[in-house]
Amino acid sequence: MKRVATRSCLTLVAALALMAGLVGSAGAADPEHKLVIEKNRFDTDVIKVKAGAPFVLVITNKDKGPEEFDMPNPRIEKVIPAGKTVRVKIPALKAGKYPFVGEYHAETAKATIVAE
Amino acid sequence: MGATFVVTLREAFEAALILGIVYSYLEKVGARDGFRYVTRGGLLGLLASVGMGVGVGYLSGPLLDLGPDLVTVTVIFAAVALLTWHAWWMQQHARLIKGQMQHRIDEARAGNRLWVVGLIAFTAVFREGAETVLFLWGIVAQAGGGGWGSVVGGVAGVACAAVIGWIIFRGGQSLSLPVFFSVTTVFIMLLAAGLFSSGVARLGGMGILPVSEPLWSTSWLLSDKSLVGGFLSGLVGYRSEPTLPEVIAYVGYVVVVGCLLFARRTPTRVPLASPTRS
Repeated sequence: MKRVATRSCLTLVAALALMAGLVGSAGAADPEHKLVIEKNRFDTDVIKVKAGAPFVLVITNKDKGPEEFDMPNPRIEKVIPAGKTVRVKIPALKAGKYPFVGEYHAETAKATIVAE
Repeated sequence: MGATFVVTLREAFEAALILGIVYSYLEKVGARDGFRYVTRGGLLGLLASVGMGVGVGYLSGPLLDLGPDLVTVTVIFAAVALLTWHAWWMQQHARLIKGQMQHRIDEARAGNRLWVVGLIAFTAVFREGAETVLFLWGIVAQAGGGGWGSVVGGVAGVACAAVIGWIIFRGGQSLSLPVFFSVTTVFIMLLAAGLFSSGVARLGGMGILPVSEPLWSTSWLLSDKSLVGGFLSGLVGYRSEPTLPEVIAYVGYVVVVGCLLFARRTPTRVPLASPTRS
């Protein structure tokens, strides 16, 4: 039992390292789109991006409390601590509308990514 | 106040559900001494949640971009593995008569295997815990503007989830052993299937698995962000807009694990003592 547990732990760690590598390796050249959170709102309602190309959302939280970027599809949840900037890599999207919210203030913090 | 209540209740519900099931399981099989593993596991999960909630504020750069995602995905898949194992263990026990079961539990105790329930409690609390801590912290930090009603709502949501866990624990005690085992095995299986599919969805969001459009939408009927939808999501992995990888993961898990758990009934059945006429 213990040996099995150790082995599965090792496999998991290896898989995660691989994933980290995969995620980390991409993104250097991807276009960036800035997004600012202030007073529990996003500074824009629509972010236009190119369809079929991955990009990076650079989200800055200027509020005193943390916020969570929450997109249902593709499922991305990312906490942005107070006063911090987080780079969220978004995979290539087909043309369409992709709404997202700041989960901690979902009534006010709403916007949409439009891929064209 | 209402909004924060819904958020924390939704986040804490699944942990309460799992803790309720695990406690009543131990009670049922006469292993009350295993309670301390669950309690410690849950408390450690809470500590880790606070630690991560606070720690995330000190991270920056790539560590902040990737670290929390990796931790979340690891915890999700670890929870799936542990819950599957627990369901399998319960299913094994369900086939035993009382004396045999006591024997198995004693074996588990001697082999120090009861700590696994502690690990289950840990992952259950830690999975949504850090998020809940951050959320509560956020509303406290902004209480000046948002009003203390939000804080009260948030705390009440967690408390309400705890009460639900307690009700499950009490309810579990009134069920007969075979009924309890079959019901909770099915519940844990569906819960783990939902977790597994959400883990797969996360991998999609991280760019590791392909992204696809939702196959259908039942948002008009019941959003998974609503209170009832949130309950169903914690309970059986309800999604109002599931994508293909999520559906494949969910159905695949239910089929594979369901077969493992329920299809081997016949070969392991204890043969009835046949009256011998010699």
